[in-house]
Amino acid sequence: MDTLTYSKINQDVLRTLDPPDRTYVRLVAVLFAGIVMGALCWAYQIRTGMGVAGIKHPVAWGVYLVSFVFWVGIAHSGTLISAILYLFRASWRTSIARSAEAMTVFAVATAGLFPLIHLGRVWIVYWILPYPNQRNLWPNFQSPLVFDVIAISTYLTVSFLFWYTGLLPDLAVVRDNSKGIRRRIYGILSLGWTGTHIRWRHHGTAYLFFAALATPLVVSVHSVVSWDFALGIVPGWHSTIFAPYFVAGAIHSGLAMVITLLIPLRHIYRFEHIITMRILENLAKTIILTGLIVAYAYGVEFFIAWYGGNIVERDTFIWRAVGYYAPEFWMMIVFNTIVPLAFLFKKYRTSLTSLFVICILVNIGMWCERYVIILSSVAHEFDPYSWGIYRPTWVELGIVTGSFCLFFFLFMLFVKFLPSVSITEVKEALPPPTRQYEEHPRCSD
Amino acid sequence: MFGLKRKHLKQPGVMGIYSRLDDALNAVRAAREKKFTVGTVYSPTPRHEIREALGLEELSSVKLFTLFGGLIGIVFGIGLTVYTTMQWKFIVSGKPPIPVVPTVIVAFEFCILFAILFNLAGMLIKTRLPSLRLPEYYDPRWTEDRFGVVVLCSDADREQVSGILRESGAEEVHEIRG
Repeated sequence: MDTLTYSKINQDVLRTLDPPDRTYVRLVAVLFAGIVMGALCWAYQIRTGMGVAGIKHPVAWGVYLVSFVFWVGIAHSGTLISAILYLFRASWRTSIARSAEAMTVFAVATAGLFPLIHLGRVWIVYWILPYPNQRNLWPNFQSPLVFDVIAISTYLTVSFLFWYTGLLPDLAVVRDNSKGIRRRIYGILSLGWTGTHIRWRHHGTAYLFFAALATPLVVSVHSVVSWDFALGIVPGWHSTIFAPYFVAGAIHSGLAMVITLLIPLRHIYRFEHIITMRILENLAKTIILTGLIVAYAYGVEFFIAWYGGNIVERDTFIWRAVGYYAPEFWMMIVFNTIVPLAFLFKKYRTSLTSLFVICILVNIGMWCERYVIILSSVAHEFDPYSWGIYRPTWVELGIVTGSFCLFFFLFMLFVKFLPSVSITEVKEALPPPTRQYEEHPRCSD
Repeated sequence: MFGLKRKHLKQPGVMGIYSRLDDALNAVRAAREKKFTVGTVYSPTPRHEIREALGLEELSSVKLFTLFGGLIGIVFGIGLTVYTTMQWKFIVSGKPPIPVVPTVIVAFEFCILFAILFNLAGMLIKTRLPSLRLPEYYDPRWTEDRFGVVVLCSDADREQVSGILRESGAEEVHEIRG
């Protein structure tokens, strides 16, 4: 970032908001078609009934809940980068924090759709919210499912507000470089921001507290999601390791998704001098750490299944490795724990191709992890009489595909209409323009 | 309105535009030494040097809004859980009807939610946002690479303040009518 100046950062980031080319329009159109396809599948499910989904006894939680956990997990690394690394003053995060935080908002919004889809009669979803009613019925606050409603809606609210608060100064930059209706729209969105010292000070304090509060929240959210499973007595679920195991897995998948999104973004918009290889390398190193934590959790699960002496638990884990869901299980093991170890070698963590491919594999592996955990446990519970197999139907696969299209569609709109790199934070990380810096650029770093 | 303190809104002054941070800081220090009030310093990015030159603490009073919100959230979370449980008083497995551990989780989530909402409200109140009219003298270069220093002064002091701003390295100096 040596050659960057305040002015150059403005130019480079504002360039991304220029009118789109044909490739962009085509890609957005394809993603939109995917969303329509997913919506039609959902409409068909509502019209026909939940029977069109593959969920039936004994597996009542299918790919809808798998996708819910997957998308909540994806959201987590956004908060890790934008909030936790902010508190640790890791300056390398500045150029990727905005897109990671946007990814969080879109991932939580996508995740939030799945419980609605899974519930069936979505129009009465408000029954789960606490509100005064004639029959004096209230949600059971002892249920982890109710914790989940509170945690996910809090997380979506906090992520969105955190992201928007950080965007305010950058929206003002866009406003100041626009004309006509565009200037008016960005003027309204920026709330009339001007970079006065008073505003920077209050903004900085608020941003710090956003980060400080988002940090414990992000840990609590996936812990609460894990308790949806761990508080049940189902073998393979009833484990105290679930909360840290899920949080580490969430960050593992989220970091992989960040790299998956950043590499095309960096290439298309020529951000090589802002999103440097060092940043991608740091992300890859963090993936080694999260991968090792996930590997440890996989090992402990199997060890306790054997050491605990519970034959049902032990049988469930053996069945995971050799039974009907074995292909997904071994994809989970290889893609999440062994493949990321390639990042131990500098050659692989500094090559865009290997970074991209490994991160895609980690994403697939983490989706498989949720698939294996959720399905294999209820499919193979205590009583052999009620064992059963689940495979998703075309309706479920259509909706899941639609969710991926929705996520990427929102991200594509984001990079075209909003500054995808935090202009003010990147400027803040640079040495300020001073006489001393002009005379001795190296000494002022 | 635009980040100035209310008492400074209608006051006349002089504004200097700088391309270097150290020049802007020199202007702030010189103006303060001569007992003039520095109304506003504009910068494209937050700089701690500006805050220090103005003698301001790092954290603003927004922190009190956040604390207050968090406390309200805890009380709300506990209150909601206890109130709804007491409507029925079911005893399950001989456990007390008011569950302590789940109450803590609900209280924690509401603590974070309310703290964030109050944090945002505090920031908007203290920064007087939204404010859809920009100051007449607002310069769009302040969101790019220039710094602006606005010194409040009477008509009689205008020449002296303009001199201070020029001496400190201002590229341009403009008068602001009250």
